[in-house]
Amino acid sequence: MKRRSIATIAATAAMVVGLGACSSSSSSTPTTGPGKLVGVFKITAGSCTAATTSGSYFRMVAAGGTTAKGPFIANSDSTCATNSYSPLSPGTDGGLITGSYQTQPIPPMDATKNGLAAKIIQPVKFFAVNFALSSNPTDPQSGIAVPVPSVTASASNKLSAVLSALSVAWNGQQFNQGSPKPDGSHPGNTVDATGTYNPSTGAYTLDWSSQIVGGPFNGFTGVWHLEGTFTKK
Amino acid sequence: MIEIMGNRSEATGWNRRWPLIVGLVVGLGLIAAPLAFQMFTRAPKGGTMITAFKPYMTEKTISDFQKDLGTIGVAVTEAKTQVSPQFEARTGLSAPPAAYQALLEQWPTINKDMSGMLSTMQSDIGDYQAVVALPPFPLFPWFFVAPGVFLVGISSWGLLRRSRGGSPRAPLIALVVLGVGILAAPAIFQMFTRAPKGGQMIDDFASLMTPAKVGTVQGYFLVLADGEGTLRNQVVPGIEHTTGSTAEQLASALPSITGFSARWPAISSTMAPMIGAMSDNLGNYAAVKAMPPFPMFPWFFAIPGVIVISTSAAGLVLARHRSPAADVASESSDPQLSGQPDSNPTNDEEKR
Repeated sequence: MKRRSIATIAATAAMVVGLGACSSSSSSTPTTGPGKLVGVFKITAGSCTAATTSGSYFRMVAAGGTTAKGPFIANSDSTCATNSYSPLSPGTDGGLITGSYQTQPIPPMDATKNGLAAKIIQPVKFFAVNFALSSNPTDPQSGIAVPVPSVTASASNKLSAVLSALSVAWNGQQFNQGSPKPDGSHPGNTVDATGTYNPSTGAYTLDWSSQIVGGPFNGFTGVWHLEGTFTKK
Repeated sequence: MIEIMGNRSEATGWNRRWPLIVGLVVGLGLIAAPLAFQMFTRAPKGGTMITAFKPYMTEKTISDFQKDLGTIGVAVTEAKTQVSPQFEARTGLSAPPAAYQALLEQWPTINKDMSGMLSTMQSDIGDYQAVVALPPFPLFPWFFVAPGVFLVGISSWGLLRRSRGGSPRAPLIALVVLGVGILAAPAIFQMFTRAPKGGQMIDDFASLMTPAKVGTVQGYFLVLADGEGTLRNQVVPGIEHTTGSTAEQLASALPSITGFSARWPAISSTMAPMIGAMSDNLGNYAAVKAMPPFPMFPWFFAIPGVIVISTSAAGLVLARHRSPAADVASESSDPQLSGQPDSNPTNDEEKR
């Protein structure tokens, strides 16, 4: 009887140790299977050479243009030779978090109307004024409640995402830059985020475009490219 | 003889009813007008537009904008005279950047067009204030519906009384009072002076509030923004590099260009929201434009008011000056107006 008890305790302890080991290993490595990826999509900073742009970046298509052919708006504050590319740098959270919001501060802009949110990316100078990216439970532009950012990996390691909560603050204005839009629509050039994912390394890419609805850039389209490494929460 | 008296009685009945029927018809017309002109959806949009333009329809804002155009203008002149000659040698750049060229070439057009827009807005500040002083736009349809409902109610009450043999005197008096109220409303709200001003502003804004115009102004913004950025990030640093000047020395040598760059964030942060206000209110402007012309609005009250007053008053007067034959013929149906005690037991029964 005593031996049986000792065996039971030992088996239970082994199970606990085993589960603990499984748990600790899953928190440090990327997901290996399909499903929702909840964690941080760490951003590899964009960099420019004379000829190419690599890493994460933002572009803007003029009203009436297309994401494939442009015309793309030149950002004279870009450090890229092709200054329609604005390179993005990781923010204080390292990148885009799924499963929770990365809200903008209050107030979202400083006295000179520079956007201040710096969790996802560092604010980017655009026509002399910084724009800032955030994700918020209520879209600041439309006032519509939006779901938390989510990214799902398929069995073939393709990514799809719901990024309605993404918003840009710039120059006293708020622009929803997610897809689908807060009301669920896909106006104009708005295309849901898709990408690739390597489960063994966590390397990912995410691309989406979001046509601006309302405001001074009504009809213009933000084109976003994020790449980096996913880290599970 | 009996037949003749019967016809007179019918005629007198009609004479007593027609002011009430007119009141009923005018009331129904007032109720129907906002529906016919889709005021319930359009008027609030007008209110939204008026609110959106509030920051820009002031002398100070427009004056600041005009000063900003001046700031850009002198910077462009300085670039043309101080930088463009021997551009490559002065800046060390192989050629003038496209954005720099675009700013210099397009500035005269931008300046002329933007100045014209600001002049239009400036001339409409008084008109705008007159519109703001009107009752809130979302209430507009209710200014029709509310008196309309009262007219219908009072007229129906009078017709019901008549059908039961009662006197229309009280309903007619009520209609006269209501008619005076309807007639006075435009005067109380100074609609005769304010509404035409609103109409003038709406007409003036027609040239500003089109998708094409918004697209053009968006383009101006991009030319200015890209031009300023190119001056700040390429041209001025190039001159700094080739001449070995410090930033302070350059600011002294090119005060207008450096002044433009220093001022640009403020210009941008005012200009961008204004373009946004224009863009966001295209639909609202179209809704207001689709409503009846503003100068007609006071008449929408004055004319019904006059009709109701005149017909109701006429009804009262006619009732007092009826012929004795008509009185005899209708005595049984209207004891109050004839001033005789009601001898008809049926009427007593009805009144009870």
